[in-house]
Amino acid sequence: MLKKEQNDLLTQTGPGTPAGRLFRSYWIPALLASELADNDCPPVRVKLLSERLLAFRDSQGRLGLIDEFCAHRGVSLWFGRNEQNGLRCPYHGWKYDHTGQCVEVPSEPVESGFCNKIKLKSYPLVERGGVLWTYMGPPDKQPPLPEWEFVLVPSEQSFMSKRIQESNWLQALEGGIDSSHVSFLHRGDLDSDPLFRGAKANQYNLRDSRPVFEVVESAGGLYIGARRDAENGNYYWRITQWVMPAFTMIPPRGNHPVHGHFWVPIDDENCWTWSFDYHPTRPLSQDELRAMREGKGIHVKYLPGTFRPFANKDNDYLIDRAAQKSGRTFSGVEGIAMQDASLQESMGPVVDRMKENLVSTDNGIIMARHRLLRAVKALMDKDAVPPGVDIAHQKVRSAAVVLPPDQPFMDAAKEALAVRVGIAHASV
Amino acid sequence: MTAMLSESARATSAAEARFRINDPNSRPRAIRVIALDWPSEAVVKRLAQLPWASATFLTAVASVPRAGERFSVQGWLGDLAGHTKDLIGEIDSADLVVMVATGGENVQVASVIGEACSLKRVMTTALVLGATSISDAALSQTLAQLRPWALMLVIASAEEYIADMLAALRA
Repeated sequence: MLKKEQNDLLTQTGPGTPAGRLFRSYWIPALLASELADNDCPPVRVKLLSERLLAFRDSQGRLGLIDEFCAHRGVSLWFGRNEQNGLRCPYHGWKYDHTGQCVEVPSEPVESGFCNKIKLKSYPLVERGGVLWTYMGPPDKQPPLPEWEFVLVPSEQSFMSKRIQESNWLQALEGGIDSSHVSFLHRGDLDSDPLFRGAKANQYNLRDSRPVFEVVESAGGLYIGARRDAENGNYYWRITQWVMPAFTMIPPRGNHPVHGHFWVPIDDENCWTWSFDYHPTRPLSQDELRAMREGKGIHVKYLPGTFRPFANKDNDYLIDRAAQKSGRTFSGVEGIAMQDASLQESMGPVVDRMKENLVSTDNGIIMARHRLLRAVKALMDKDAVPPGVDIAHQKVRSAAVVLPPDQPFMDAAKEALAVRVGIAHASV
Repeated sequence: MTAMLSESARATSAAEARFRINDPNSRPRAIRVIALDWPSEAVVKRLAQLPWASATFLTAVASVPRAGERFSVQGWLGDLAGHTKDLIGEIDSADLVVMVATGGENVQVASVIGEACSLKRVMTTALVLGATSISDAALSQTLAQLRPWALMLVIASAEEYIADMLAALRA
């Protein structure tokens, strides 16, 4: 249960809100680099943290992320002409550069310098690891560029997708750190999905549907360890990483790539679910890439020309009651990503947490809320830099390991939980 | 012509959220919060000052038997006013037992509470505070004593987390 004022505080991320200020402390993913592939390509509408923006790549390849609307009459610059190092409004020809500075107002004499007085709000936009990242906070507090391992490995070792999720960001994030649902909701996929199947550890998951949990605070967020019985009295541990505010890394299976998410608020009722897969030491295979593009694993199939999932609320997620009854899928929805999203969206755009009845195994969620609230308060009261901004907090890995019963995962898996360049992730 | 909304699209709108039933959907849970060591007892005493609907605060710090004494489940668990409580009776009427421990302290008593919870099929959670101020080895020792008896183990950096957790669990 969360009080209404706490729920509002964490779920509202628009300009001027406390959680909005928290998100504006970080570099966040804004677009796939492929969305602005070429110089002078069409601009792309972007809504982030309840701000409507427009992204474009100018004639020199410089990236811009600016207020979507022309300062003159409020026309959307999505209709603009991307030409000669700027975006020109098609209505009266006002032109803006990649910083949002107006560089031409055709109706006014050049000598008047009127255009110098017009500047649209803009944010930095930087390409890194196939993703265009933005920082929407005060320029004097801009942190170093993100150093997540998946953005630093060679491009052939990683794959990134994004999809629209029609719910507030927090209920999506909470799904990502809720390890106990895997043995139910996704049980039909562990042995069939090409990006999961074949791992020895799947049997541990399927045999033991009541894992024991350990939640440990880390510098950047949380380690969430789920312990299941393995052979010879040993324990199989799956250790999920959560780094504030919205990054999660799921424990790997076998030699499959490691995957995880960012949940980035579009507005208070929608978010972007960013889904990455990468392997620290080898290129992804053609089979793996094909499976990811076809929506397997944590990725989805799209409605053509959009980032909206093909199975969505408008078609009842293509629920298959026969598959549900036979056990082929536990909920009747196909695919791991949409199994999660369908249930999280079913809660409504912003779930009322006053009505929920959390149990002890929800301590990961409770702790995440506690840390978010604490970070927001420290930011508002003391201007404290929140956890996760420091790039040291980003150099983490999830892990799956088998340990003797007397070994705390924090000690035994310490190395496995940190990035080790050139060394594969710890997996079973 | 307006397209028909799907069941899911109609049901998940913000407007439809207004029609959710507002009646209570649960009854209060009985939660026993038990301090396992002296530093934790001080924490539990502070927690007990806050308003709670269904949490009871207890201490087991006087339980470690002295040399030559035999351990007895009678008379070693107490409330914060110093009254003796019956372990089995307390556990029998609990939905959840929260054990509060301090990193580096001897918390062998967790095994007695854990055994009783296991016998009565009561869920257990252990919270460890003060973990950052001690060595890994000392923390491991405390964790090793808790791990067999805690179905959920949380290592928290701040005492306030316990209050937040209890509030989240509707204590």
